[in-house]
Amino acid sequence: MKKADDAQRLERSRIRAHLMQRLQQGDADACRLLLDDVGPAVTRFLRGRVASDEVEDVYQEIFMALFQARHTYEAGRPLEPWLFAIARNVAADHSRKRWTRASWEELTPDLPERAAGDSPAAPPDIEGLLTRLPAAQREAFAMLKLDGMSLEDAAGRAGVSVGALKVRAHRAYKALRKLIGGEGEGA
Amino acid sequence: MPEASQMTHAERHRVLVEALAGTIKPVRPLWPVRARLGLWLLLEALVLVWAATHTGNDFMRKFGHLDYALEVALFAAAATLAAMLALRLAIPGRRAGPTEVALSVVLALVGIALVAIGEPMRTGYSLGEFLSVGVGCAIETCLLAALPWIALWWAVKRGAPMRGAAAGASTGAAALLFAFALMRIKCPIDDPLHILTWHLMPVLVITALSALAGAAWLRFRPRGGGGESRT
Repeated sequence: MKKADDAQRLERSRIRAHLMQRLQQGDADACRLLLDDVGPAVTRFLRGRVASDEVEDVYQEIFMALFQARHTYEAGRPLEPWLFAIARNVAADHSRKRWTRASWEELTPDLPERAAGDSPAAPPDIEGLLTRLPAAQREAFAMLKLDGMSLEDAAGRAGVSVGALKVRAHRAYKALRKLIGGEGEGA
Repeated sequence: MPEASQMTHAERHRVLVEALAGTIKPVRPLWPVRARLGLWLLLEALVLVWAATHTGNDFMRKFGHLDYALEVALFAAAATLAAMLALRLAIPGRRAGPTEVALSVVLALVGIALVAIGEPMRTGYSLGEFLSVGVGCAIETCLLAALPWIALWWAVKRGAPMRGAAAGASTGAAALLFAFALMRIKCPIDDPLHILTWHLMPVLVITALSALAGAAWLRFRPRGGGGESRT
């Protein structure tokens, strides 16, 4: 029984390797057949490695990565180690980004609620307060919280590293907290 | 067609596969590691010829001494092994075997030991002389490594290295260890203190820097991978 399974697995691996070679030559049908064949294995690989609501995104990223790295597959070698090395790399990247995002959210909690006695009809004038911040901090805050950009995109637009942008935004938060607190006290 | 958020996994898969199949173009697979390593060694051979013809060192006479010949051979072998590992690390699923890494390190360490015990340490020169002569050698070591480093970096970058730091370190070690071997041919000074300080230090420093650069720029990152849905 085990021998039959092994033979079947070997044959499947051989077919995948052959399809991959045709894919390298630009054969769209081989591309469809191969990706359809490895899809379930990639899904199984991702279960338990990434959060269930993120499996779809990582699955897509893996397929994009397989496609982009297709020239690195060596004909004559089994496809699976190549495929799962890329899948592992993408999943690890994703976990790293998720961790960074989580620590960022922890670092910059939501803006403080207004004091209990404040009128709900008079929310803080965020835009007015923003003008009192240094330009770099204002830009970081606006891109992340008003425009809803991702950290990477915002850092790219500001022309700084993600770390530097986080620091700017964190300082903007602290300054805004202080300013809102000051306004509340003054009201 | 339903919106991406309402699609089932099978539907998303279909859209993705069709999108990829629709844009497929033939690609030229990477040449085998052995072929690319051969080309890199050819480049090193050219640098060797240049170094051998631009030196006042009587290295041919020194090759008559076993320890000198062994030093050069060991460092060249360690560099070749490191280059092979770098090229292999550029291919997903292929990794640097611990035996090969260990062998490369042992070869370099034996080479260093031979340098250290080969000649008695000289102490009869001034600090100024030690520095002025030494800095020139350190720069020359880096210059001899520059072109092979760039070539190997490019060859590794053409692949898809999963471990950028390891690939960067191997690339740096290969280029600099070979430069060390070439400097044993080019530099007439056999004083262990000079060699260990001004020939070996650049090897260690640049290899470390290359590892850092590899972690930052060599690691394969698929274009457009940002976590957001693309279907």
